[in-house]
Amino acid sequence: MQVERMGLHLLLALTTLVMSAPLIWMLLSSLKPDRENAAYPPTILPHTWTLENYRLLFTISDFGTYLSNSCIVASASTLLTIVISVGAAYALSRFHFRWINVLAGVALFAYTIPPILVLVPIARIVTGLGLGNSLSALIILYTATLLPFALWVLRSYFNGLEIEIEHAAMIDGCTRFGAFIRVALPQAVPGIISTSIFTFNAAWSEYLFASTLTVSPSKLTLSPGLSLLLDQTGVYSWGLLMAGAVMITIPVLILFTIIQRSLVRGLGDGAVTG
Amino acid sequence: MQRSRGKTSRKGLSDRSLALLLVLPAALLLVVFSIYPFLQAAFDSLFHIPLATRQGTFVGLSNYVQVFHEESIQRAFGRTLLWTVSNIAVQTVLGLLIALLLNTRLYGQTFGRGLVLFPYMIPAIVVATVFRFTFNDITGIASYLWLKIPGVHQPIYFLSQPTAALLTVTAVNCWKYTPFIVIVLLARLQTVPRDLYEAAQIDGAGRPALLWYVTLPWLLPVLLVALLLRTIWTVNDFDVIYLLAYGGPLDATTTLPLEIRRLAFGRQDVGLASALAVLVAIGISVIGLAYLWLYQHSEARLHER
Repeated sequence: MQVERMGLHLLLALTTLVMSAPLIWMLLSSLKPDRENAAYPPTILPHTWTLENYRLLFTISDFGTYLSNSCIVASASTLLTIVISVGAAYALSRFHFRWINVLAGVALFAYTIPPILVLVPIARIVTGLGLGNSLSALIILYTATLLPFALWVLRSYFNGLEIEIEHAAMIDGCTRFGAFIRVALPQAVPGIISTSIFTFNAAWSEYLFASTLTVSPSKLTLSPGLSLLLDQTGVYSWGLLMAGAVMITIPVLILFTIIQRSLVRGLGDGAVTG
Repeated sequence: MQRSRGKTSRKGLSDRSLALLLVLPAALLLVVFSIYPFLQAAFDSLFHIPLATRQGTFVGLSNYVQVFHEESIQRAFGRTLLWTVSNIAVQTVLGLLIALLLNTRLYGQTFGRGLVLFPYMIPAIVVATVFRFTFNDITGIASYLWLKIPGVHQPIYFLSQPTAALLTVTAVNCWKYTPFIVIVLLARLQTVPRDLYEAAQIDGAGRPALLWYVTLPWLLPVLLVALLLRTIWTVNDFDVIYLLAYGGPLDATTTLPLEIRRLAFGRQDVGLASALAVLVAIGISVIGLAYLWLYQHSEARLHER
């Protein structure tokens, strides 16, 4: 037994190491000067620790612009997605008109449409609306594509709430809308938080639409932005690129730390119920 | 339970108007940015449309016929099959093993869980940048470590040799997405009914038997749903594979979504690209139905006992 538990601990340590090694390597390389990143044999820990890569990232490249663009796009589309889907999810959960069920079906279908299939028509719609090469186009588009996911998760959340409390509030003179805002909504806050985190992360990470719909450097978000840097600096400035990768990962790490506890349970409850 | 079908509350809006107001923005966005583009793509597939002029000529189903004759599409199809099957196989096996490992009571388990699950949330561009550095032919740490293995004298060009490239991209994709399977299975593992284990132990089942006859059947329905999602996303996956290798070298990592992009934007043949995209969507739906059928069977077998 003792030997077996030691073996399992060893296995756990090994798995953890393999899964996190690429990210540790990213962090260490971002703190090395370029001659060390190109050195043979490579150094594991930096011999000279430096923040030069980060300074260069924000001075010689447009990374700062990409960062603020991504902050704007991801926050705005998360906010819009949540505001729109909370109301709709509540309606989907509490009212049972036939056309409401049709909407639920349409949302599920929309979730399975491959993004590449609608890329060309969407590019055409965006240009047609006069939104070509703008952050607003990305915000609206992300809201529309993230909506089905948010709708389904939040609906299952509302389905799990006690409906009796809302009825009691309505008997006490609350309107239906009042019951939604004052009774159901506060109870749904944990579900709203975890849905927001997944929505934000998806918008923060998106590449395909962003790279197709935005062209000018001042409008690029982080994914096409770092991809552009990757093509420009290529082989000789890995430290700079790793610094960019670290900067993109930091907000994701913060969100992950918030959600980690409920992640295992949350995904089980909402998205994939057995 | 009778919920408020058509019942009007005494004050404020009727249920019907409130419901309409609440779903209207969502419905509008879905129609404009999902349903309409989908129909448009299906419509486009019946035309020959050069991207530059966008003046379509109606050609009936000839784009669909051409899909089956185009050699580059056939090769992309074969690659997609290989890519999807190997990804799903590796992620299932590793995901299952890691979930079982993380479910045993060990020191540092919570911390380990965090580190193991985190890659799932890393943006594709970060994944691509880090692994293009790691697998770089000259400065990559992986290339260096490979040559340190005793008895190895030949370098591997992880991303610049066609065969190696597809394997490397698959390995990277597994690193990012196996955590999804782990998350789903861990959640399910916490709900295995105690009495199932006790009953089996009374029958004298050893630990391998417990795993095979109790744990795995319990996991199967949820695993199938997770695999359904993973299959759809793996077939449709664009970001990781494109950003790591741009479909190359020599098209070795051009799967169907990358081929669709090339047809539309490279060859500027929107009609042919749309026809291929529609066929991919249909293919995915068929796979989805197969999974749902398996799912219902595994659920039914679970309830029989």
